[in-house]
Order: sequence, then C-alpha cells, then structure tokens
Amino acid sequence: MEMTSLSQPNLKAQLRALYVIALKDWKVFWRYPLNAVSNIFQPIIWITPVYFMGKAFSTNGQALGFAAYSGTSDYMSFILLGTVLTNFILTVFWGMGYALKNDMDAGVLESNWLTPVPRLLILVGRTLSSLLVTAITSAIMLAIGAALFGFQPTGNTWAAFLTAIPMLIGLYGFGFAFAAVVLLMREANTLVDVSSFLVQGFSGTNFPVKSLPTWLIPVALILPLTYGLDAVRGLLLRTDTLLPLPAEIAILIVFMFVMVWFGAWVFNRVERRVRTLGTLGQH
Amino acid sequence: MEASLPVSLGQRGFGADLRALWAVMRREWVIFTRYPSWVIALFIWPVIFPMLYILTARALAGPDGSGMAVFMEITGASDFIGYIVIGTTVWMWQNIVLWDVGFSLRNEQMRGTLESNWLSPTWRFSYLLGHTGPQVVSMFMFFSITALEFGLMFGVRLNGSVWMILLTALAAIPSIYGLGFAFASLVITVKEANAFVFLIRGMVMIFCGITFPISLLPGWMQSIAKWLPQTYLIHGMREAAFSNAGIRELAPDLIPLLLFGTFWLVVGYFTFLWMERRARRTGAIGQY
Repeated sequence: MEMTSLSQPNLKAQLRALYVIALKDWKVFWRYPLNAVSNIFQPIIWITPVYFMGKAFSTNGQALGFAAYSGTSDYMSFILLGTVLTNFILTVFWGMGYALKNDMDAGVLESNWLTPVPRLLILVGRTLSSLLVTAITSAIMLAIGAALFGFQPTGNTWAAFLTAIPMLIGLYGFGFAFAAVVLLMREANTLVDVSSFLVQGFSGTNFPVKSLPTWLIPVALILPLTYGLDAVRGLLLRTDTLLPLPAEIAILIVFMFVMVWFGAWVFNRVERRVRTLGTLGQH
Repeated sequence: MEASLPVSLGQRGFGADLRALWAVMRREWVIFTRYPSWVIALFIWPVIFPMLYILTARALAGPDGSGMAVFMEITGASDFIGYIVIGTTVWMWQNIVLWDVGFSLRNEQMRGTLESNWLSPTWRFSYLLGHTGPQVVSMFMFFSITALEFGLMFGVRLNGSVWMILLTALAAIPSIYGLGFAFASLVITVKEANAFVFLIRGMVMIFCGITFPISLLPGWMQSIAKWLPQTYLIHGMREAAFSNAGIRELAPDLIPLLLFGTFWLVVGYFTFLWMERRARRTGAIGQY
C-alpha cells in the first residue's frame, strides 16, 4: 500500500496542507468570538465619523459637492463598498505579513519552514480562513450598513464580483513581496498599517480619486487597485468611472499576472537571503 | 555590619522602587529604539491618518468648494484641516496608549517573561508605570512632529498659546493613561482584548466629534459624549490652538478633564491591584 504524505509532495498533499493551515487559523479565530463581533462593527465605526462629517458638508441632506466628483450623492454607499473591498485588501496584507511576524514571535516560523510545503503555499494558506471570515463579516456589515445608512446597490452584482477577482489575485503578489519585507525587517505592525493605509487612501476607498490634489492624482492612477475599486463601484453603484470599464478590467488582469510573478520572485530571493544569513528565526 | 548593607531590590524601599522603575523605563526605551520602523510611525502616522479624513472632506466639499462654506458655518472653524487634525490626533493618542500601555503586561505574558518578573521583589506597578515614561516621551515627539508637518506642508497655524495647548494636554494625561492602566490590568485577565481596544477607540471615534461638531449627533449620542473625557480634550485643544482661549475660557474643558483623570487613575490603580491578586490566586499570570 502506497502512502501519500507531505514528505512526498504532490497536488493532493499540498491541498491537504492548505486545508490544515486554514483550519488551524479558523479554529484560532473562533476561539476568541469577540474578535468576530469586532470585525463586523469595526468598519462601521470607522465610517461613522464620515457619515456625520458628510452631514456637515450637505445642503438639505444632499452631498452635492460629492456628486459633482463621483456622479452620485449617495456618499455612504460609495464609502461602504470601498470599505468592503478594503477589508479584502487588508486581509491579504495582514494575512501574510502579519502571520509571518506572529510565527516569528511564537518561535514556530523555523519549524514551519522545515516542513516539505512550499513557502508561498504556507503564505496563501494563512489568508484562506481570513478571506472566508472577511466574506461573512462583510456581508453582515453591508446588511447593517443598509439598515443604518441606506446602502442600496442598483447595478450588476455578478459583474462586480467577477471584476474583483483579478484584483484580489493580484493582491497576493503584493502580499508575497510584502511578506518578504517583513522577513527582512522583522517588525510588521507599522509596515502593514502604514502601507495598507496609504494604498487604501490613494486608491480611493473613501472618496473619488478625482478629488485628490492634482499632484497626488498620478499616485492614485499608478495603483491598479484604483481601477479595481472604480470598476466595481461603476458596475454596482453606476458611478462615473475614470476609464471605460473594459479598459479598467484589462488593467486588472494584467496587474494580476505581473504582480503574482513579481511578488513570488521577490519573496523567493529574500527568503533565500535570510536563510543564508541565518536570521529567519530572529525577531 | 547589617546596617551598612546596600539597599538592593531584595530589600524593598523607596530607592529600590525608583531603581526598578528606571530599569523598566530604560528597557522599554531600548526596545522602542531597537526597531527602526518607529521612525516611520513617528513621521508618517501624524500625516496619513488625518489625511484620509481631510481628503474625504475635500471630496465632500466638491470641485467648487461649495460644501466647505457649509462646513465652516456649522463647525465655526477657521481652518478645516486644523479642525480635523486636532480631532484625529487625540484619537491616535488614545489609540496608541491602549495598544502600548494597555498591552504592555500582555506582551510580557506572551513573551513568557511576566511570571519571572513578577517573582522579583520589586514594586509591581513599576512594570506598568515604567512603560508609560517612554510612551509619554514618544507621544510628545509625535505631537511636535504633527504640528511641524501640518505647519510646513499645509500651512496650518496654531493661533493660540502653546502654553494653553500644553496645559490642556497635561490635564488629559491622567484620564488617557489611567484608562490605559485599567485596560492593561483587564487584558491580563481576559487575554485577547483587541475587541476592547476597538470598542473604546470606536466610542471616541463615534461620540467625541473627531471630524465634526457633536451638535450634529442625535440627543442620546450627545449625552454619551459628555461622559467621555476625549470630548472635552478635543474641544479644549481646538479652542486653545485656534481661538486664543485663556484659562478662563478653557475651564469648562479643563475641570471635567481633571475630574475624569482622577477617576481613571484611581480605577486604573485599583484594577491593577485587583488583577495582581486575582492572577496570583488563580495562577493565570503565565497563561496565554
């Protein structure tokens, strides 16, 4: 009888490894149920000041200034959708870079690294459970958003969902490269926070990028996420898009291939470097 | 001969307690400076967090800036960037204290050093207090850099007295850090307390008017806001920084801040004593 184990890597064994990593994270997450509750309310809390700030800018309850930039005066639906997509963006950033830091602190990174599982697969595995949690919490968040702020998508949900997929896959490339930086610098919180915050800000999570100061608009336009957020909003809320929708979707598909290749290349080089230096287990 | 023995940590005394406090402060400072990313945090956070709200405000104002006039009228602010920066910086202060001071004992627990430190014959509150010293210094640097960056990059001018700004910040220290002490003690008992940080900072974010005047809140929310010291801190800071207010004008904010400060310091200290006793009785100190 032939045994297929992780020490004889094949597709089945790799998938089993992915499942085990995701299951472990799933168990750890639900071990602290308060975190799940906070995942739902956290984004709502973040956008509440914007809701009241929007009132301070509105005339007769209409955010006319905002409508002039985006094509919709429903700024809360605009922001809620941006927040949901950002949740997924953060999941990839946190899921990989932060998981590496946690493993370093807990002293299990080296032993995990010794298992016959490709390192990139370990990184991907660390995001699976969070992606599922994010999908569940985002759905609940949108339901609460609909009740509190009147979130009402009027466009094509499936087209928007399919458009978001290449963006998310491309983000994995980002995440690989970022995990490499964490391996080098060994401190993840500030890096994760600052970089995800900057990307989030410049790609237009909370506002249309057209409203950025002129000198910042090029920064927004070189971020593929800008087109992802813009296309999904265009499809779901029928807002004005920066480029025609087919062009934005083409950019996202190119971004997906380039970023995954580039991120994997950077990670493999850095990982080899830290193993050569013997700093893998240091924190 | 016995009288000439040096007073060491093994023989508790005021000097030994101070030495322990100093040792904790020095250790925390070394850890703080050991990771170079603190430089990024110190220079980038003061700008990027308020920027998100400032840029949203620009978008809400519209291409012709028509919404800005409405905002200025409702808030009574002369500078919308300064108005938002004060609110968001106070929020960041409370947030950083909750993560830094609030999780100081928990981090020791996770590193496995809390039990061994607890066994040493030192004043145990010094572990918490010692963590606060470098934190206050780093926050002072944080505020100075915020003022400098927004002054240079966005032309935000503090028209008020620097002394009044400092006085308002000093009056807020007991409540901000007292809450941190109480929180740090609870974290040892409840372990994974991220959700509590999110709850407290969320309350500050929603109720204290970080980007809007609390008069825009519904009545029941305004009633809650009055029980949060950060509401008075944000209002007082805005008055001190932009309205040239003196002590008399600031008194309605300073008095509640000091009262809340006394309350939170007492709560913080006694929560620590309670936790310390409970953790020893249940053996929870080393669990994580």
